[in-house]
Amino acid sequence: MRENCDMRAPGRRYLGLWLPFLSAENRIRQSGPSASDRPHVFVERVRGAMRLCAVDRAAHELGLAVGLSLADARARLPDLVAAPADPASDARRMLRLAEWCERFTPLVALDPPDGLMLDVAGCAHLFGDEEGLRAAVTQGLRRLGFTIRASIAATPDAARALARHGRQGKPISALPVIALEAGEDIRLALIRAGLKTIGDLAARPTQSLTARFGAGTTTKLVRILGREDRRITPLRPLPDCMVERHFPEPFVDMTALEAVVASFMDEAGRLLRQRGQGGRLFEILFFRADGVVRRLNLESSTPLREAAPLIRLFRLKCEKLADPLDPGFGFDALRLSVLRTELFVEEEPRFDGDVRVGKHIDELIDRLVARLGRERVLRFVARDTHDPDRVSVSVAALDPVVSAAWPEREKVSAPARPLRLFEPPQSIEAIALAPDGPPAKFLWRRVWRIVSRAEGPERIAPEWWRTGPDAPTRDYYRLEDSEGRRFWVFREGLYDRETPAPRWRLHGLFV
Amino acid sequence: MSFYAELAAATHFSFLRGASSPVDMVLTALLLGLDGLGIADRNSVAGVVRAHAALKELREAGAPPMQKRRDGSGSGEFIHISPDAPPLPPEALAARAQRFRLAVGARLVFEDATPEVVAHPTSRAGWGRLCQLLTIGKMRAKKGACRLTFDDLQPDVRDLLLIVLPDRDMTALPVVLPRLKEMAPDSVWLGATMPRRGDDRRRLAHLQKMARAAGVPLLATNDALYADPGQRDLQDVMTCIREGARLTQAGRRLNVNAERHMKSTAEMLRLFEDAPEAVAETRNFLDRIDFSLDQLIYEYPDEPVPPGWRPQTWLVELVGRCARMRYPGGVPAKVERALSDELALIGKLDYARYFLTIHDIVRAAEDRGILCQGRGSAANSAVCYVLGVTAVDPAENELLFARFLSEERQEPPDIDVDFEHERREEIIQHIYDKYGRDRAGLVATIISYRPRSAIRDVGKVFGLSEDVTAALASSQWGSWGHDIPDRRVRETGFDPRNPTIARAISFATRLLGFPRHLSQHVGGFVLSRGRLDEICPIGNAAMDKRSFIEWDKDDIDALGLMKVDILALGMLTCIRKAFDLLRAYEGKDIGLADVPQDDAATYQMLQRGDSIGVFQVESRAQMNMLPRLKPREFYDLVIQVAIVRPGPIQGNMVHPYLRRRNGAERVSFPAPASEHGPADELHRVLDRTLGVPLFQEQAMQLAMVAAKFSDKEANQLRRAMATFRNVGTIHKFEALMVGRMMARGYDEAFARNCFEQIRGFGSYGFPESHAASFAKLVYISSWLKCHHPAVFACALLNAQPMGFYAPAQIVRDAREHRVEVRAPDANFSDWDNSLARNAAGALTLQLGFRQIDGLNEQEMRRFVVLRCAGYESLEAMATRGGLSRAILRRLADADAFRSLDFDRRQALWDVRRLPDSAPLPLFAVARARELAAEPSAHLPDMSLGEHVASDYQTLRLSLKTHPMALLRGHLPGVSTCVSLAAQRDGAWARVAGLVLVRQRPGKGNAIFVTLEDETGVANLVLWARLFERFRRETMAARLMLAEGRIQKSPEGVIHLMTQRVSDRSDLLDHLWRDDVGTISAPPDRARHPRNARLLPKSRDFH
Repeated sequence: MRENCDMRAPGRRYLGLWLPFLSAENRIRQSGPSASDRPHVFVERVRGAMRLCAVDRAAHELGLAVGLSLADARARLPDLVAAPADPASDARRMLRLAEWCERFTPLVALDPPDGLMLDVAGCAHLFGDEEGLRAAVTQGLRRLGFTIRASIAATPDAARALARHGRQGKPISALPVIALEAGEDIRLALIRAGLKTIGDLAARPTQSLTARFGAGTTTKLVRILGREDRRITPLRPLPDCMVERHFPEPFVDMTALEAVVASFMDEAGRLLRQRGQGGRLFEILFFRADGVVRRLNLESSTPLREAAPLIRLFRLKCEKLADPLDPGFGFDALRLSVLRTELFVEEEPRFDGDVRVGKHIDELIDRLVARLGRERVLRFVARDTHDPDRVSVSVAALDPVVSAAWPEREKVSAPARPLRLFEPPQSIEAIALAPDGPPAKFLWRRVWRIVSRAEGPERIAPEWWRTGPDAPTRDYYRLEDSEGRRFWVFREGLYDRETPAPRWRLHGLFV
Repeated sequence: MSFYAELAAATHFSFLRGASSPVDMVLTALLLGLDGLGIADRNSVAGVVRAHAALKELREAGAPPMQKRRDGSGSGEFIHISPDAPPLPPEALAARAQRFRLAVGARLVFEDATPEVVAHPTSRAGWGRLCQLLTIGKMRAKKGACRLTFDDLQPDVRDLLLIVLPDRDMTALPVVLPRLKEMAPDSVWLGATMPRRGDDRRRLAHLQKMARAAGVPLLATNDALYADPGQRDLQDVMTCIREGARLTQAGRRLNVNAERHMKSTAEMLRLFEDAPEAVAETRNFLDRIDFSLDQLIYEYPDEPVPPGWRPQTWLVELVGRCARMRYPGGVPAKVERALSDELALIGKLDYARYFLTIHDIVRAAEDRGILCQGRGSAANSAVCYVLGVTAVDPAENELLFARFLSEERQEPPDIDVDFEHERREEIIQHIYDKYGRDRAGLVATIISYRPRSAIRDVGKVFGLSEDVTAALASSQWGSWGHDIPDRRVRETGFDPRNPTIARAISFATRLLGFPRHLSQHVGGFVLSRGRLDEICPIGNAAMDKRSFIEWDKDDIDALGLMKVDILALGMLTCIRKAFDLLRAYEGKDIGLADVPQDDAATYQMLQRGDSIGVFQVESRAQMNMLPRLKPREFYDLVIQVAIVRPGPIQGNMVHPYLRRRNGAERVSFPAPASEHGPADELHRVLDRTLGVPLFQEQAMQLAMVAAKFSDKEANQLRRAMATFRNVGTIHKFEALMVGRMMARGYDEAFARNCFEQIRGFGSYGFPESHAASFAKLVYISSWLKCHHPAVFACALLNAQPMGFYAPAQIVRDAREHRVEVRAPDANFSDWDNSLARNAAGALTLQLGFRQIDGLNEQEMRRFVVLRCAGYESLEAMATRGGLSRAILRRLADADAFRSLDFDRRQALWDVRRLPDSAPLPLFAVARARELAAEPSAHLPDMSLGEHVASDYQTLRLSLKTHPMALLRGHLPGVSTCVSLAAQRDGAWARVAGLVLVRQRPGKGNAIFVTLEDETGVANLVLWARLFERFRRETMAARLMLAEGRIQKSPEGVIHLMTQRVSDRSDLLDHLWRDDVGTISAPPDRARHPRNARLLPKSRDFH
């Protein structure tokens, strides 16, 4: 985190927020209130043991604290509901709440764990006074379903300390030394030295404290006391790479637009090249003079930094727009942001000057997606399974699904399976030797076919965890009939072991 | 006549691969009508003994043996499960089993590209070679692994038959086959399977061609992983566990079908239609094998026998010599007689080498000054006493030996030897050194799937979250039974009908009892005369410098191998340390056998229940029993040790015994009807215990004498007794025993109680032979405590961790016995607690640095050596004593600078100011002056409460005062613990104190809590129903307030029958709070409760 330390600027005010039950309340917001009023806790594995890392209000009131082992907690409250912690979801929630807070001030920072810090200098008058502002924020968050503790102070550290460790109406000097967040060792040492509150420390010469409890402790102390300020780093995530231009006169000439965009893209490409990166997701913002903002997203399958393919995508996208870009009174600013970047692997040009074959396919995919839509351009990926029905599946070409290894072709023999399968397999009648002989002849499309060669069975048992225990095993045979046509058929169900009368199906043709 | 034997059968000892037990494999092979079976697990022979024993049992009884399954963590906590009755009548099955041939070998899996090879020995020599080969592989790998390459196979494969099992890729075969053929002409086969992969016949033809080219015969096999195709799903789950994969993601790592099961001869002939010779070849293979595990002849080592002596004559000679030393005044006639009887029996059964070996180990301990004592059936003999194996003098005690080492019973003698727990490793290493790693090995313990581990592993496979499996795995009070009942599932908040959970539970249930891996036994050694690695493979243990064999105790028993248990006992450490202190401070030099007998003061102390720290009888239940039993002599202690156990309690034997002992009930002996036998037939059995059976052996004898069990039946009962629990077989014995006793005219209630007791022993058997040895240590530790309380407390603290009580209670008890205890001090303490004489000449206990949390032993010992006349300042400790600032801080926190006239707060203030690293000596003085320039800090005085709280944080005890003494003002109307005794029975009372122990014994009907305040302890009893109401308070409280009625027994044992519990841990904050209130916020992430914990953790159940 970037920090700017300077002497206390008069008039700075910070609002510190703390959500003590964030995890629990976040869960409720996501999946609705729980039916039972049983206490809820969240657990994570710490050195082999499951420990509580967050609790809800009920659990807190019953004396469960963060850090307790789940086993201990359950020994006390057997009907406890424990869920695995979801720090990612909690973090997303905090981000959303931070964005929500931007209505009070543009300067909002995350203050982990489970806290936010708002720079509210000059905002209070909009809500009457500071108390009014504090009330507005807390009431708003409470309506969203969050327990909130909020304090306003002259420095972020003081606001944080008061929100987390303070008591209503008590001054900073009454804060316990745990507010220094200096670690358990130092907290204990301070208490054993008889220094139990910030006030006890404030009265002592800083030097003698620094010598004993470290510079970190005293720095934090002077910041809590408001003798030293620290700037917060506001949240608004800066895109990885951004090009922006403000026009003195609103820009209305649509024909020149593409050139402007191209110049943006050149500029962005230059920035990306410096970092060895390429962009996967681009956003162009068109700020209209009347305050309307249009957004255009361009996505590519491989990292890009050349203007040409981007322009192509831009053009395709513009053609597809249901609601065309309308400059109205003109754009007064344009911003190109690269929202997702990736390492750009430099292609070694081949001796014959050609580039990787895949590159053309990637470009084709980009163009097809831009024209047809993301969900309509598909590719095949392999699944790791013995089940021929499930061995391949199609996904959106841009999806980052990693394919399993395709089954290896046996080196010596003809293909074991047809390239394409009947879906569903077609019913046939067959005459075969029990229990597991190949068909001697079979009836398909009203024609009896005499089998002249057969190999098998290849016995494929069902994936019982998907199909249940009673799904039939299949015995597959590769057959060649008297006319040289090749078939892939199977007997459904093992004779005797699974069924007295197995049925036969044709699953594919070898062509 | 067609013939087929499955020669490459894996069992579940191919961990997480094989899905059937060896017993199932044997039984299935028999039922399928196969002619033989070859067991071959992956680089292991761990399962072969079970297969061997199962076949033996099937030959004799026509039924498979019972399955033994661990059920609890204690020793002997097993259940036996009888398998479903096979579909063949026993006679037919036995007849088949007679003809059936079992080959035992291993499947060699190599690290290099060599295909897997199944090796079956043809002879005893071949078996030895196989074991050595596996030992080589295991010794070069970490525990549980085996690293072999083709080159290891090369030196010597005589007497081994090898089946090469190619996998899908057969490219290595044309190279490997000829090489193997060259190494072992006529002993190599090429294994062929028909796995139903589509190209089976093409592949078989290919194999045929290669076999022909190499000149080796083709051999048909299924490469079986399980007995029955129904095990496929379980095998899939096991594969996932092994691969750490979810079922849905395991894909082609799972087998494609269920074909790797055992198949009948007809089915094999059908499958191998193209190569019938491969099926027939299994007969040629089996015909070559002339080896069975019965050929493993085992003998104890020769080492203890001097050249020129035969073991028996040497034992007689040795016993004679030692007896004269034990009894300098002449061997009493009684002992003389016992010795000659015992020696005759030992000679007859040829156990002399066993006793000599034990003696040898005990001697080695003696030479090192390590205390030890034997126990077990054979240990309570005159021979063991004179050899110094035990300290129970046969001249003064009834001898138990002959009853246990009987001629009829073909069981090896049993002696466990306990050693000082801190020094047992020396003995273990001595044994390895003396006998060599190829002749000595620890026995294995098979770690099997139990409900917790099973549901955890299976849950992962089904993608259940860790929390769900943890919740399912956590059971409130110890282990689940042998099944996972729905009720348990519901308790954890899940619906047992939820399909995924139901499925996970069903697989976990099937997995129960499957071995997971092998581990070393706690101390069971097998020593052999010849090479042990020719009997069984030996591998590395996880612990450094330990190695263990692949077989567990049951396997060893089945093969008649003998083991010696080298166990660790904390109390022996304590006693040895006490003896050392006695020598140093009192000039008394005594050993285990020299402690004065029949000391009245010692017994009086025990009768008062004053037994904190004493061996065995210090638990609360034991302490309550002491005033009731009022031990007056040694044998009373034997009974005391054994009576507070589930056996006598469940058999309702405790109260009858106590009544008879106190003269409230006439001593009578149950008798049969006159026509069935003499009325006094039980006198000899129950004489010692006033007609009430108390010991495990007595229960056995009752079965034989009163219920006329035959030797064979008694044997079955004995085996079952140590094991069964809640299983079908118990009813068989119950009906048998109770029925016969009643038929012979015994009272039904008595018969039932006897059987209940056997049932109780089943869980936690406690035989008289062990009780006698333990009682000796009870007496010795009591004597020390009674006559040398300072010495005892000091030794006990230095032997921690052990026993039932924390240092705080030991120190408190010492002070109550008028021992002056001094707090740790940088200038007076040693690392260990130590003794000193005070001005009055009494021994005082100086607490050592080991009592302070977080100090380093080496650093502190050096500090003590460098102390000379003492350190004059903090700086001197840092420079001359070499203490780091971190250590000085800990000493300051522990208030250990009083000798420098610093109290805790001032010391901490000054120490924290010292520079982090020790300064160069030259500058030290200058630096010290420079530091001295700071003005006085004027810190507020530390209150007593703050001191006590800090003492508990750093020392886990406080000598200054008890926290309750300071907090009493906050608890109006609360009695002190001691004052409960002065109140009448049935009075309503309130007590409060620190929670020392929470226990939920036995069936969990009552919860016992021990509270401690500044006056003493109070014992609470909370019935389960009330506990559920106050569960949270009971489990969470560190400082508990309890209300209830006082219950007093005639002997003065006091309980508070608790009706209400409150958690007043909040009061502990008051110790710190003399000025400002600490502001308690909602959950604090920064403050971990472990760090915030003021008091040492109580001993709790979960």
